[in-house]
Amino acid sequence: MKSPFAAAGLFALLAVFAVVPLVALLVRSGADGWLSVWSDPASLWALRGTLLTSAGAAAFAFAFGVPLSLLLERTDLAGSRVLRGLLTLPTAIPPYIWAMGWIALANPRAGLLNLLLGRATFDIYGVAGIAFVLGGAGLPLVILPTCAALARVDASLEEAARLSGAGVWRTLVTVPLPLALPSALSGTALVFLYSASSFGVPYLLGVTASPPTPTLTTRLYGEVLSGATGLERAGALSVELLLMAAVTLLLNSWLSRAGNVRLSSGKGLARRPLPLGRLRRPVALIVMTIVFAITLLPMMAVFLTSVQPTWGVLDGLTFKHWASVLSNARTLEAALRSVVISAGAALLVTGVGLAIALTRRRWLELLGDGLFAVPGTVFALALLVAFSRDVRLVAFDRIAFVLALGNTFALLLVGYVGKHLAYGIRNVSDGLAQLDPSLAEAARLSGAGPVRAFLDAVLPQLRRPLAAAFVLTFLTCMTELTVSVLLIPSGTEVLGTLVFELQSYADPASAAVIACAFIMMVMMVMAMTSLAGRARRERRR
Amino acid sequence: MSKVELRDIHKRHGTTMVLRGLSLEVPQGSLLALLGPSGCGKTTTLRAIAGLEAPDSGTIVIGDRVVDEGPVHLAPERRGLGMVFQSYAVWPHRTVAQNVAYPLMLQKRSRDEVAARVREALSWVRLSDLGERRPDQLSGGQLQRVALARALVASPKVLLLDEPLSNLDLALREELRGEIAALRARLGTTMILVTHDQGEALALADSVAVMNAGRLEQLGSPAMVYREPATAFVARFVGGANILEGIAEDGAFTWGGLRFPLPPELRGVTGKGSLAVRSEDVAVRTDVGNWPSLPLSARLFAGESVEYRFVANDTVLRSLGPPIEAAVPGLKLGLELRRARFFAAQ
Repeated sequence: MKSPFAAAGLFALLAVFAVVPLVALLVRSGADGWLSVWSDPASLWALRGTLLTSAGAAAFAFAFGVPLSLLLERTDLAGSRVLRGLLTLPTAIPPYIWAMGWIALANPRAGLLNLLLGRATFDIYGVAGIAFVLGGAGLPLVILPTCAALARVDASLEEAARLSGAGVWRTLVTVPLPLALPSALSGTALVFLYSASSFGVPYLLGVTASPPTPTLTTRLYGEVLSGATGLERAGALSVELLLMAAVTLLLNSWLSRAGNVRLSSGKGLARRPLPLGRLRRPVALIVMTIVFAITLLPMMAVFLTSVQPTWGVLDGLTFKHWASVLSNARTLEAALRSVVISAGAALLVTGVGLAIALTRRRWLELLGDGLFAVPGTVFALALLVAFSRDVRLVAFDRIAFVLALGNTFALLLVGYVGKHLAYGIRNVSDGLAQLDPSLAEAARLSGAGPVRAFLDAVLPQLRRPLAAAFVLTFLTCMTELTVSVLLIPSGTEVLGTLVFELQSYADPASAAVIACAFIMMVMMVMAMTSLAGRARRERRR
Repeated sequence: MSKVELRDIHKRHGTTMVLRGLSLEVPQGSLLALLGPSGCGKTTTLRAIAGLEAPDSGTIVIGDRVVDEGPVHLAPERRGLGMVFQSYAVWPHRTVAQNVAYPLMLQKRSRDEVAARVREALSWVRLSDLGERRPDQLSGGQLQRVALARALVASPKVLLLDEPLSNLDLALREELRGEIAALRARLGTTMILVTHDQGEALALADSVAVMNAGRLEQLGSPAMVYREPATAFVARFVGGANILEGIAEDGAFTWGGLRFPLPPELRGVTGKGSLAVRSEDVAVRTDVGNWPSLPLSARLFAGESVEYRFVANDTVLRSLGPPIEAAVPGLKLGLELRRARFFAAQ
């Protein structure tokens, strides 16, 4: 696989389905288009919406993520294992489901909290609400890298501070916090990008609100719906989104390099949590409440919505929505379609990711990884413009493409695969890096040719990363919304767009049923992987 | 069982020359140890023989077959060799027996033959009871024995061993060393062993090739390499000798400000060069006036004898001898060179 032909072929694949469409999108909208955004008040208003909500979400995730990480990783906080599990949930479940949960809780007229506490105590719509929901959903992006950085801090560093006379809190703030800060900030930058790229949450909480809070992604979607001239304007808007993504990523890579300090001597790390003493229980209670409010509460609200007879009225429980949704031909059709396309996408992501990782060419890996950072709305728009038949003639009138992808599920599949290719590449590439090359060499000396040695000695070691890439891609695509709303052939639905449709127009209860099914699916897979992991560890013992 | 021959092998990794014109011959059935410090090219040499790396120029012959020469490069799987890797390279997804059976399976042997030969190979390395175990249930020493059985099961022409013992602790190393020696006596396979441990090389090998910076310093029997080093490098690396850089004239050797009378057999040498003296050949004298003397810098207890250390000209000079009660660090002691080898500077 190290042959230059393989690399060239894979590059051609990426070029046709990602690079060229993206570049074409930028070029087509042209300098006039780029500048027109700055003279158009509506576009500026959308830019303001994106900046405010994303900065708010980032600030929220940082403000909660950093103290939570410190408590979870460096102290003897009670119940930290359960808390840790709960705190990985938010990114596993698509953000628009959290938005649905919060609509059910804090819709000013009919939200459950408002029904309990009096009308209009909370209002989840608007800038603050969007920032809050996105910040909660993005919380793991701060907590995971911060905890990882904190785990690399040797306990003796803290003990030295304590022996110098610092108390527990002072120690936490002066020793592990500064050491983990670059990682926390780099995670915060990712929350910003995640929020700026998100579509479902600002749509559900911003577009239908009064006054509406437009963002770049939702405005871009509106422009696409408005027809051919809208496509031009959408292209111009996507320039801003891409620019924002690029700046955030640069900042992020700079921060993660800064965070890459050697924190331990390389020998085994001593892990002695700092004792919270008398405060152990009260602090745990506060943390539990926060985590409950961010994760369990909206999930419960979604479930309640699915069993309420009438939306916004608290009287009795019913499973009629479950029965009707699960027997509805429309739901079943969308579910089947989602399963097929997601499985196809997962297979392709795994296969292409494996091929790219096997070339061991850094630039190719970076190119594939980079697509993940391109906001889904922009990538989908680029595919839409490049492969819808009318527009294609303008863009590629000299190239005889026989790819008739416009308005087909194939284009949706391309969108899913391109957007999530990084899952395949990262997993396999990390797996390969951990692999001892002499495993394959031993097979060669035993008499196996290069292909046979790969199949017998290398591929079996990659089972786990390959499975991880498949499962991750499958789950994400099953609930995907951002790319789907733009690329779904007109008149058809996948599960993500169906939930979106039901939630934003007619029937929040039915949407909640499908959302519950999503949550159960995600939790089942998480439980299965953790069980498999435990079984593996036990066998080794 | 085949002889192995290397002629004028050159190999470059990026900008560094790893092998510069290496030639070697390993007679059929003998065990050659490639000995040298890390980075001397010994592992590259082994990997070139295995076919895992192609030399830039030169010829490699295994048995009667030229496996590398110009455009000819026989793939590793077609060379009929066995190899034991430093990291064991036991496949974690196969049981012990499946690991060992793999080379036979590729040869499409009958099921009965495979089973019989796997059983036999496992008995060679005393793992008969562990055939159904998974590698993650074995210790390092057991894993290395699985690797040994797997490398030997298909009766390879040559067995290549890449630092096979360096990942093991001292006791296991001794044990496996004995095992390799016993297997060799039993199977008579030609073996090439890469090691940086001169004790291992001297104990196991029929001949030792001492390598330095991509070149062969000396090829000879262990006794010869130890007793009659061809270069100062061999004297230091194999014999652990003190190397003093200086000038010989009029039956004496001047090293920095010190002037040592040369032992009788070296009275005639003159000119610049290196003097190699083993620590047991450096005698400590308390009658300071008659000998060049240095203050003792450290005294290390070594069981039967004591190691005395002196520092001069940025070099540590070691002497091994009987305990002298009065010798404490700081005391000036006389030094006599009883035996030495002189290597004239090129």
